[in-house]
Amino acid sequence: MSEAGDRQPEAELGLLDATMIGMGAMIGAGIFVLTGLAAEIAGPAAILVFALNGVVTAFTGLSYAELAASIPKSGGGYAFVREIFDDLASFIMGWMLWFAYMIAGALYALGFAPNFLELLHVYGVVGPPDEVSAVALPAVGVDVPPAFLLAFVAVFLLAALNAVSTAAAGSAETIFTIIKVSILVIFVAFGVASPMFSGAEFQPLFPEGSGATAILPAMGLTFIAFEGYDLITTVTEEVENPRENIPKAIFISLAATVVVYLAVVAVAIGTLGAEGLADAGEAGIAAAATSFMPTGLPIIQNGGALIVFGAVFSTLTALNAVVIASSRVAFSMGREGQLVPSFGQLHHQYGTPFIAIVASAVVMLGSVALPTQSAGNMSSLFFLLSFVIVNVAVIRLRRERPNMNRPYKMPLYPAPPILGAALNLVLTGVLVEYLIRTDPLALGLSIGWILLGGVAYVALNRYRARTDTEGETDTDSDVSPVTDD
Amino acid sequence: MKKQDLRIVIVGGGRVGLRTARTLDNRGHTVTVIEEDPIRSDEIADEYIATVIEGDATKPSILKQVGLEKTDVLAALTADSGTNLAACLTAERYGSPIRTVMRRTDEDSKEYEDLVDQTIFPERAGARAAVNAVDPGTRALEDMIGNLEILVIEVTEDAPVAGRSLTDIGLPTGSLVVSNADGDRIAEAGTELEVGRSYVVATEPDVEDEIVRLFRG
Repeated sequence: MSEAGDRQPEAELGLLDATMIGMGAMIGAGIFVLTGLAAEIAGPAAILVFALNGVVTAFTGLSYAELAASIPKSGGGYAFVREIFDDLASFIMGWMLWFAYMIAGALYALGFAPNFLELLHVYGVVGPPDEVSAVALPAVGVDVPPAFLLAFVAVFLLAALNAVSTAAAGSAETIFTIIKVSILVIFVAFGVASPMFSGAEFQPLFPEGSGATAILPAMGLTFIAFEGYDLITTVTEEVENPRENIPKAIFISLAATVVVYLAVVAVAIGTLGAEGLADAGEAGIAAAATSFMPTGLPIIQNGGALIVFGAVFSTLTALNAVVIASSRVAFSMGREGQLVPSFGQLHHQYGTPFIAIVASAVVMLGSVALPTQSAGNMSSLFFLLSFVIVNVAVIRLRRERPNMNRPYKMPLYPAPPILGAALNLVLTGVLVEYLIRTDPLALGLSIGWILLGGVAYVALNRYRARTDTEGETDTDSDVSPVTDD
Repeated sequence: MKKQDLRIVIVGGGRVGLRTARTLDNRGHTVTVIEEDPIRSDEIADEYIATVIEGDATKPSILKQVGLEKTDVLAALTADSGTNLAACLTAERYGSPIRTVMRRTDEDSKEYEDLVDQTIFPERAGARAAVNAVDPGTRALEDMIGNLEILVIEVTEDAPVAGRSLTDIGLPTGSLVVSNADGDRIAEAGTELEVGRSYVVATEPDVEDEIVRLFRG
């Protein structure tokens, strides 16, 4: 006999696994990295920001549940849109969603770095994060900030790992997420019990000057904290009893995430105060924890270190999840002929979508040079736009395919997708306006990516026209079991 | 540019249709099934292998809901040739360009050859399986292996494995390249997978899509 295969196929995922994939992606990102930034914009109203985002995103969650239950494809939002929209619209959707994930990867890497430095600092390996000196790279003759270098290395290593190994993330993800949530529960418990929290001050709720309107841009920035259900739908084909479990996983992960967020943000603001939180930026939660967690514990010494470890662990696992998710979007687009075909090819030895991973990694590595806030802004912007299209896809499918079997039908149709699309558009508008005022770099790069997409689309159509004339035929008839009709 | 995964519509989610849908889904293609019976339609949706449109496929208003303009192949597999022919003709009218495969209920393979691209007569394979059971000493191939698929698969030019030897490629667990290109030798480590040649590959259903993607691009 010849070479028998030796790579392990993917495992089946249960309801718990699917829920944890969604929660794992959401909880890594928003809470540790973005709480500080949200507090900076909205003050104590950051709590409201997360609550309202949960409401807005629930409408899109309903749309995802309906689509994922009736369309058995593991491409996430792109696969659903591809089903009902023409080439251009589905290309735009895939192009935007791919970018959203890649920038999210950069965001998580940028959130990982300062928290990792903080962890090293807690154990006295290095000085306080802001005093760690730049790392000189003699080879290129420039000094690189250590946080940037760490973020770069994290992306590089995780991309390399995923490029050469298909080790199924599913069950490991469940354990990871349980660890993350447990750490946050410890954080909340100690925070609520601490004397700092009993004197908590949530007034004035809204920042002076901008007032209640300040929560809108903060909602835009932190919207990415709720992108996890798209991630659930990128693995639907591996889930058991999917038409029941996928909608459940979407709703449970969303609800649980909102609860965790609200508790954590309330404690962080209650103990550190909105200003203190804002000053700590990406390491906000970690800074809050070091302020009230007990010290002098065995082994870990400082209780705050546990939370900092949670932040490091969460950002890293979330980064891993989006490395996979971004390459899956690119892989799906390649297989649909919407990116060059090599994106849709498995590697001959590793069995991974190698080119798709490498291409995604290149964009992510470039993006870690961005300021954290710009990465958050851009990623949120593209998720918002993608979700608008997903909501419209639900409406189009209901109109054009009335007889499609829908194992899960959302209640109160058409209100949820209309509200979902409208609210996402409002947040997009607010975010764009906010970017014009404060972050022209992010806006410019976003527009640049869309223009680049236009160029890619035209070039691809040219290429397609050329190859189509070269070789027709070649259908699947060459793959046939040894039997004839 | 050539699409790597086919969009396939199967008319009729009966035993033949569902089995076909499952096999094609295993290979990574996108499948839509049109099934008239509501209970059967729910059962197919439960399997999560295909999008299901519930209705009578001879009605253009139903058939058009599969997105014919994007469909590569339509296979009409109900037990009724009239329904199958109507679905194929409607698809050829509205879909561009589309391959049509029709299940016929009589033995004569010439009858519909001007109207559809290919006809099949699944009862022949069924009969062969019955013969295998009745006279197990001499068995035809297709019935001897539980869930395994034995594929004769041709390596395409763009395929990831094209031109590589078996030692260089990593196949998933649950798959095995059985014979070399000529089909007269058992494959060994040094066997090279040449473009345009066919190989016999045994695969478990779980990894069939990966095998197809590695060999076909």
